[in-house]
Amino acid sequence: MNTREWALLAFTILGQTAAGLMIVLMIVRAYLAGKAGNEVADRLTNRPLFMVVPIMALALLASLFHLGSPLNIVRAVPNIASSWLSREVVLAVTFLVFAALYTYLQWRKAGGEGFRVVIGWITVIIAAVYIYAIGMVYMIVTQPSWNTLATPVTLIAGSLLIGVLGMAAGLAVGYAGLKGEEMKAISTALQGLALSAIVLLGIEFIVLPIYMGYLATQGGAALQSLTMMVGPYGAVFFFRLLVLFVGAGVLAAYLYRNASVAEKEKTLTTLAYSAFALALLGEVLGRFIFYATHYRIGI
Amino acid sequence: MAKQLAFYVDINKCSGCKACQVACKDKSSLPVGVRWRRVFQYEGGEWIDQSGQMIPSNVYAYSVSSACMHCAKPICMDVCPTSAISKRDDGIVLINADMCIGCRYCSWACPYGAPQFNEELSVMTKCDMCHDLVDMGERPACVEACPYRAMDFGALDELQAKHGTFADPAPLPDPSITEPAVVYTPNKVTKSSRNANGRLMNLEEL
Ligand code: SF4
Ligand code: SF4
Repeated sequence: MNTREWALLAFTILGQTAAGLMIVLMIVRAYLAGKAGNEVADRLTNRPLFMVVPIMALALLASLFHLGSPLNIVRAVPNIASSWLSREVVLAVTFLVFAALYTYLQWRKAGGEGFRVVIGWITVIIAAVYIYAIGMVYMIVTQPSWNTLATPVTLIAGSLLIGVLGMAAGLAVGYAGLKGEEMKAISTALQGLALSAIVLLGIEFIVLPIYMGYLATQGGAALQSLTMMVGPYGAVFFFRLLVLFVGAGVLAAYLYRNASVAEKEKTLTTLAYSAFALALLGEVLGRFIFYATHYRIGI
Repeated sequence: MAKQLAFYVDINKCSGCKACQVACKDKSSLPVGVRWRRVFQYEGGEWIDQSGQMIPSNVYAYSVSSACMHCAKPICMDVCPTSAISKRDDGIVLINADMCIGCRYCSWACPYGAPQFNEELSVMTKCDMCHDLVDMGERPACVEACPYRAMDFGALDELQAKHGTFADPAPLPDPSITEPAVVYTPNKVTKSSRNANGRLMNLEEL
């Protein structure tokens, strides 16, 4: 991988992180608002929300380094009718605009509660379509190791996993000093996030062997990719599985167990941040293998 | 609608000398590393050990000259985010350098390795079928250069009427992917994409 490909990887990962975080954030916010009221929900979710826009802005900045002629980037719009890459770029920018609008409204407490929630959910829908589009970019018939259902499924699961654990980290930080209903709401939310992480990990671990089995039966370029994954990139491949297992499995389970215990905010924060960091690392390694082992059909 | 233009190569006549490749580089002033036309050397078969004596079994080798196929279903054009790639009335597929953002998506997609990145210009480039010459009624540089007269150029349907419709000598991919505008005449040992059992040789020359 060269600088250009690392830039592409950064664009994808940062975009996934921002979009995944936004989706999970709105779900958690809705839950907290129901349990402890809008005021508490806003206070607890604003900290992670303020991360979304900077991360997405960084993502778009990184994307420019992937291009040979970045000054022409505005031209990446016209072929939206047939090109998923065009759609990805347009959705990324739209997502940034809406996330910025929502963040501004939340920050300034502007526009009224109902309006803010509507803008928030519109942003979530854009984020979801954006994540889907990232996956579809790689559904190219001449790239057999990419052109499988595993690509969008893994991408969606990975984005949500980062989002879930990122949100857990954001919540754990705000845990200190809470009492009564608020404290109960946040610990249930944390437990829900920890469980979701374990489920998402399960999905990834079910999809992976099916995917590899499929590559093995396809022969040709697909088999070549598989051989690279378990051969020269085997160490990275297994390290990634380990990292994911520890982060989204073991640490998430501990997070679940500690979430309902009072006076544990220090432990919780450490657990949540470590789990998030490992999930992120797992996704980076996964993307790295994805880009490093693809083989095109033909010459 | 003008007729779809196409290349023709007779594998019987091709010696693998790469004069077409060199003529292409010269005509379009391509930098080192960019080869719009490439000649693939493909070979297969094996030597069988019969009680200490090595006997050749189905050993074969042949050359396939290939460039952009100016496909009927150009996958490069479908995936390009900027509409930098277009197909002319006469079927020639062109990249507009002013519109290309250099994302390389087309080179991920094209199964013929036709789009190649020009580092000096920071944009994607590929065989343009010498459309400047074609528009003046001449033929592409590669076709003219072949010392064995193994290549031809013209309307696809006319070339097909004369030479048949074979379009996928191995190592070229399954033609149903992009429906390439090309005709090859196979020689006795030429495999098709479906029963390709050989390998590419002299990779460092590609
Ligand atoms: S050979 Fe490749 S670059 Fe040329 S038209 Fe076909 S898909 Fe496009
Ligand atoms: S490299 Fe240029 S021609 Fe190729 S897909 Fe990207 S913008 Fe289009």
